[in-house]
Amino acid sequence: MSDRPEATPASAPGDTPKPIPKWVDFLLYATAAISYISLSIYNKWLLDWIVGPLWLVAWVWGLPALWRLVRGRPVFPRRGPRFDP
Amino acid sequence: MSWAAHQFEVYAVQAHLPKKMKAKISWFAIFFGDFTPDFLAKFWVYGITINGVHYGATKPYQWHRGWPGMGISHTMFFGILVCLGIWAWKHNRAWTIGYLFGFAAHVLTDVNDSIGTVLLFPFTTLNWSLHTWAYAATVKGGKYLDAAAYYSSLGLMMDVFWLLVVLFSWRVLTREFWRTNVVPADPHVWSWLGQWLDERGLLALYRGVFFYGVCRLISWTAWAHLVARPVINGVKHNGYPFDLSWTGPWWVTHVTLPQVSPWIVLPLALAILGLVYWVAGILWERMERPQRSAIASPNVRR
Repeated sequence: MSDRPEATPASAPGDTPKPIPKWVDFLLYATAAISYISLSIYNKWLLDWIVGPLWLVAWVWGLPALWRLVRGRPVFPRRGPRFDP
Repeated sequence: MSWAAHQFEVYAVQAHLPKKMKAKISWFAIFFGDFTPDFLAKFWVYGITINGVHYGATKPYQWHRGWPGMGISHTMFFGILVCLGIWAWKHNRAWTIGYLFGFAAHVLTDVNDSIGTVLLFPFTTLNWSLHTWAYAATVKGGKYLDAAAYYSSLGLMMDVFWLLVVLFSWRVLTREFWRTNVVPADPHVWSWLGQWLDERGLLALYRGVFFYGVCRLISWTAWAHLVARPVINGVKHNGYPFDLSWTGPWWVTHVTLPQVSPWIVLPLALAILGLVYWVAGILWERMERPQRSAIASPNVRR
């Protein structure tokens, strides 16, 4: 929680070790939307301000993380020095 | 009330900040500012039913927007009080001004339904409403009727309008914008979240509110017009009928509270919006020195 004009980071926090192709990224977002809309039309409890954003995070971040886990690779960002802008 | 419009507003405000505040206003503060009014008031509007007994407001519109009631949560007076609290606590202008912008966006958008907001509380307890669409939260109809009415009326157009505002400012959703404008304004919060999420996860979190807004709009509209089979005035319909006339839809009971003439509402709402940006611009400069002092001597910070 600060306000420093010089705070533009050289790299963003939580850098991804290996970027995934853009089309995979797009596919993840699209399938997240399709699955969420399809299910929420008949299950209205899903249309919640907590569930909605978390659904996207779970889909877009969680699925690749699960894939990494299956392949025995680290899931969480490396614990190095904290991001310091 | 407005539905997905409140999610889109967050990004619209973020994309159209005054030049001197670019990359300096907390996105989280805008979100929480926009989110607070309904967070405080809405849970009791629909209430809950346990073992056949309904617990909730007997007059949802009075509770949600009236005085006495939680209508105070939809006033600029309340928003300013919270901003003063944030400033007194953290001496952080990124959060104080961001919260003010988000809060103002919510309160001013909500003057559109037939109940409106107690905009000038405590100077007057009259409601300010444009009557663009009917306020439809009722004890019997609950959330479903409310959603059906909203997404059959000009409320749907309001959501689409705010969606278009964001889409015309599409850069606000890009990774580049998030890196250069959103993270620098809130480096510590994003860094803290970065302990668990990589960049893709953090970006998804940032886009999540927009995602929720889009999906919510599509899902409720699809349900209301393709899935629901309502009986209105004894006639069974395949989906709720659209009614894009002023104060529609015709098939919900039109409730109101004591209010001012609708003709003065739009000029006043625009004046308040201008005033908020003007005052924020002035305060922005004046808050710089106290903030620097607070950062330099953290032990003194309240």
